[in-house]
Amino acid sequence: MFSQNGLSLDQAPPISVVFRFFFSGALFGILAGILILFFQTAVFDAHSKEAVTLTHTLTLGVMLSFMFAALFQMLPVIAGVTLTSPVKKANLLQYPFILGTISLLFAFNHSVPWLFGAAALLLGGSILFITLVMLKNLIKLPNHSSSSKGMLAALISLGIVILLALYMTGTLGGVLDGVYYTQVKAAHYSLGLFGWITLLIISISFQVIEMFYVTPAYPKLVSKYLPLTLLLLLVTTTAIGLFTPEIWYISNILLALLLTGYALLTLKRLTQRKRPLTDATVWFWRLGLGSLLVSMLSMVLTLFMDDMFIKTLSYIFFSSFALSIVFAMFYKIIPFLTWFHLNSQGYFTAPMMHEVIHPKTAMKHLYIHLATIAAFVLSVFIPAFIFIAAVLTVVSFGWMTYQIIHAHLLYKKTQETGEKFEMNIA
Amino acid sequence: MIISQFMTQEHRDCDTEFAAAEQAVANGNWVEAEEKFLAFSNDTLRHFKREEEELFPAFEAQTGSSEGPTQVMRYEHEQVKGLIGKLAEALEAQEKDAYLSLCESMMILLQQHNMKEEQMLYAMCDRVLPPETKENTLEKMKHVEL
Repeated sequence: MFSQNGLSLDQAPPISVVFRFFFSGALFGILAGILILFFQTAVFDAHSKEAVTLTHTLTLGVMLSFMFAALFQMLPVIAGVTLTSPVKKANLLQYPFILGTISLLFAFNHSVPWLFGAAALLLGGSILFITLVMLKNLIKLPNHSSSSKGMLAALISLGIVILLALYMTGTLGGVLDGVYYTQVKAAHYSLGLFGWITLLIISISFQVIEMFYVTPAYPKLVSKYLPLTLLLLLVTTTAIGLFTPEIWYISNILLALLLTGYALLTLKRLTQRKRPLTDATVWFWRLGLGSLLVSMLSMVLTLFMDDMFIKTLSYIFFSSFALSIVFAMFYKIIPFLTWFHLNSQGYFTAPMMHEVIHPKTAMKHLYIHLATIAAFVLSVFIPAFIFIAAVLTVVSFGWMTYQIIHAHLLYKKTQETGEKFEMNIA
Repeated sequence: MIISQFMTQEHRDCDTEFAAAEQAVANGNWVEAEEKFLAFSNDTLRHFKREEEELFPAFEAQTGSSEGPTQVMRYEHEQVKGLIGKLAEALEAQEKDAYLSLCESMMILLQQHNMKEEQMLYAMCDRVLPPETKENTLEKMKHVEL
């Protein structure tokens, strides 16, 4: 009736697809720490080449890698989309993506026009390819959940972000005249941070908060309309902003209000958990949502006062928001997948989740991550702290890299030496 | 929506019992943990039996397919049953860390399974089953015991 490659397992992609994106994301995180060590507080000046290089290391190298890991895993599980030949697709995406990201970082840092062209080809080709594949599969779904609709909206944003990026690299590479460069840059920035990163986190949270922590579901009004509202707001502002850039002031206030509401609601949901035990992942979520609140408040404040410190705080806390939530997901997903795949393959000796990554190990990462954020905030006022922040960033992502390698080795070891139950009920 | 309402409520009741057992184990209260775990496992297994003996056959008869979503659900029931067995062993041996670790896997597996049922399968049952069949199936499910 069912084989060891049960139907449930067939829906999930091979574990290597998810592991590889987490791995490359963590390595880019280590690179980000090293770059901060060299760039120091120059990264706080948003217009400097150092800031642009670091931002893309974090948003492209780190966040986009993690989000691909999440999408490859979550699309089948929570949206019911089965991607055919996931390993082939992951290869087609990952290698050009890594090369493209590195080309772009060099291009920014050394202003080499042909490197912008190479980055545009590699990144544009690979990201647009996977975005279209995922969108095509999502659109075909007969039954949509709030998460699948949200992922659809986030992927549309990602597609636009890349198209805008192609316009900018075209300009920097000397192919386009770049009449709308400033406006396109503003739209690229907002759609990337809010339309893609934030919207994807929100869509996934509609299901994982309930699934991991056993909370009441989000109100229908929020889960059904928030993603679409965010997308429409951003797309409309992008179009109007080409001619009236001031529209972003109003749009940013609306965005801050919507995202503050979301953060408060999710924090409340976490207090309504049926499982009262608090592990590191709950704290990562709280920290991430708290950071989103601070980031939104400082973003609105900068609209009314041109203060470098407040502006910098809004960047630091936005990064803390996105990374804290990635870590929260990571400490659930990696142990669960390792256990789930081995267990489904029939191994008696499949390691339990705590054997893959112990809750105390996750807790230690939480402290490192907290210290990293504290060091960044301090470095805004006392520049010498930037060195501590840089080292802590390397330690934080190094910690993560080690956990992925450990989980991978444990997985391989169990497959090689583990006792297997042969399920051959046909 | 009578199928959805009844079955979803059963999921929520099982969640509450599961969380109570997990908390008791975390507190080292093994007597209470055993009591709550028994309530959870009995109610979960009865819920599975209700689905496998009444609801799934009714759905399969109506749609003419026994290869679709019900097949996936049956397979996932087997996975959950396997974990219930392991949880019982950890409880018996009073191995706190093992029990709490298994709880993590169980909750993700179970919640993922429940979501599929609540968002897809129950909704489909409520949509495709004729009203009379729906009421009969619900009545029959209520009488299923372990």
